[in-house]
Amino acid sequence: MSNARNGYAISVEDLGVQYNLRFNRKITLRQSFANVVLRKPPDRFWALRNVTVQLSHGESLAVIGPNGAGKSTLLQVLAGIMRPSEGSVDVRGQVSGLLGLGVGFDVELSGIENILLGGAFLGLPTRRVEELLPSIVEFADIGQFIEAPLKTYSAGMRARLGFAIATAVDPDILLLDEVLATGDANFRTKSKARVIEIVKAAKAVVLVTHDMEWVTEYCNRAVLLEKGRVILEGAPDEVVALHLQRTEEETQRRQEAARAAGLDPVLRPK
Amino acid sequence: MSSGESAVSIRHSSGAVSPLTLLRQGVTEILSRRRLVRYLVSADMKKRGSDTLLGNLWWVLDPLLQMVVYVVFVTVISKRATPDYPLFIFAAILPWKWFSAVTGDATTSVVRQEKLIRSIAFPKLVLPVAETTAGVVGFAWGLVPLAGLLILDSNRLTLMLLWIPVIAAVQYVFTLAMAILVSAANVYFRDLGNAVGHVLRLWWFLSPGLYSLASLEELHTIKDHPIIGFLAAANPFAILFEAYRSVIYGTADGVGMPFAPDVASLFYLLLASFVFLGICIVFFKRLEPDFAKVL
Repeated sequence: MSNARNGYAISVEDLGVQYNLRFNRKITLRQSFANVVLRKPPDRFWALRNVTVQLSHGESLAVIGPNGAGKSTLLQVLAGIMRPSEGSVDVRGQVSGLLGLGVGFDVELSGIENILLGGAFLGLPTRRVEELLPSIVEFADIGQFIEAPLKTYSAGMRARLGFAIATAVDPDILLLDEVLATGDANFRTKSKARVIEIVKAAKAVVLVTHDMEWVTEYCNRAVLLEKGRVILEGAPDEVVALHLQRTEEETQRRQEAARAAGLDPVLRPK
Repeated sequence: MSSGESAVSIRHSSGAVSPLTLLRQGVTEILSRRRLVRYLVSADMKKRGSDTLLGNLWWVLDPLLQMVVYVVFVTVISKRATPDYPLFIFAAILPWKWFSAVTGDATTSVVRQEKLIRSIAFPKLVLPVAETTAGVVGFAWGLVPLAGLLILDSNRLTLMLLWIPVIAAVQYVFTLAMAILVSAANVYFRDLGNAVGHVLRLWWFLSPGLYSLASLEELHTIKDHPIIGFLAAANPFAILFEAYRSVIYGTADGVGMPFAPDVASLFYLLLASFVFLGICIVFFKRLEPDFAKVL
């Protein structure tokens, strides 16, 4: 196996993810019947196209880009949540992703029960979850509340518990989607430290973020996505610089367009 | 959060997988995630029990109240009285409540977990399976008022009641298939719930629940068109209701005591349900990879 020699953790080749908008969001029987009768052509769009990225163990890759660039879709494909429409995705190792904190949680269940439920969703064997239980409880730092139903938790507590579960499994590959900005400052420091620890443990990390400081400080590779295409891949400094430059250009363009339309550009677009 | 059970996973876009492979995958997923199903079921129980005034009492009262409504309704409009009519229809209300509640709830079992599906890779089949299994608990609670009715009518308290779990097992397979079917279809058609509600209501009145299959067969339409009679008898709930009624109530005229159900028709229904279940699993697995995109 030639791939094994390269020692990559993730290899994405010519990846494309296509959405069929005809079947998107809350479509009804009535609408789809109307579509068939009116012979409306299928409405398709590529969330990602021609994306090729490789990542070795020990590397951490930052995925940056404006909203709607396809960053989260890329993570979803890597996590196995979404199937590629074209190209291939090769992931070597156990993947754990923080694509949303505490999403599998049930508010009626206690913290402990939610850890067991979360572990079951992740497909971990019971014994493994029981082994991990003390360290999860400790890291989440929610004290007595661990026996109380989740509905009594604050948003920060839930986020902490979610982070603790997802990172407790010691994954080979960690996927993170903008979750570092959760909880109080204290926990943010703690979670950053944990992510750095995982990166240092020669494990691969893919991080989607708007926090450019993080990118230059903790990632050794970065990729800039725009409208589903890779604009630049390389050293974090260069990619961040290009991203900031393009964002600035875009803002100016919008302001000019607004001025041309005779609008006062008080509300600066993001 | 997601995890690959196998260390290496390669995903390609080429998606032509044979139905048999899909079926095998689906069955393996359900069996290997039994624990997840169990947690989901117990979470469901907690929710239903804890946030209502009377808690578990509703499980008992609900079928009883429904029975009272139908007894009043049918006694008013029907001239011919069936002896011990409450027990006669209760034998049908109990399994029907299970089926209709599960089918109704299952339509949203996948879409309700929209966030989860977009964040974790896990076999989505566990959702309708958990929904159907949670329904068994409701059915079991319904056996309490049934026991009450039977104590008042102790002649009918026979060993034939031991058939109930067997008949329920057949019903479970059929219900599971239905739950899997509607849960996947509802991802694509969000107004399916409306249609399901009406279809269920029609199905209930067309099934021999409030009346016996024999009385249906006396109708002129059915005598003139044997095909309708055949369809009426092949209705899964005609077979199930007749079976439940035979072991709980006895002969349709209310004279004969409880007797063993028609094992042959139950067996055929079981076979057909397994085939239907297989088709529904394949259908679900075909749609599953795109759930995250559509939700």
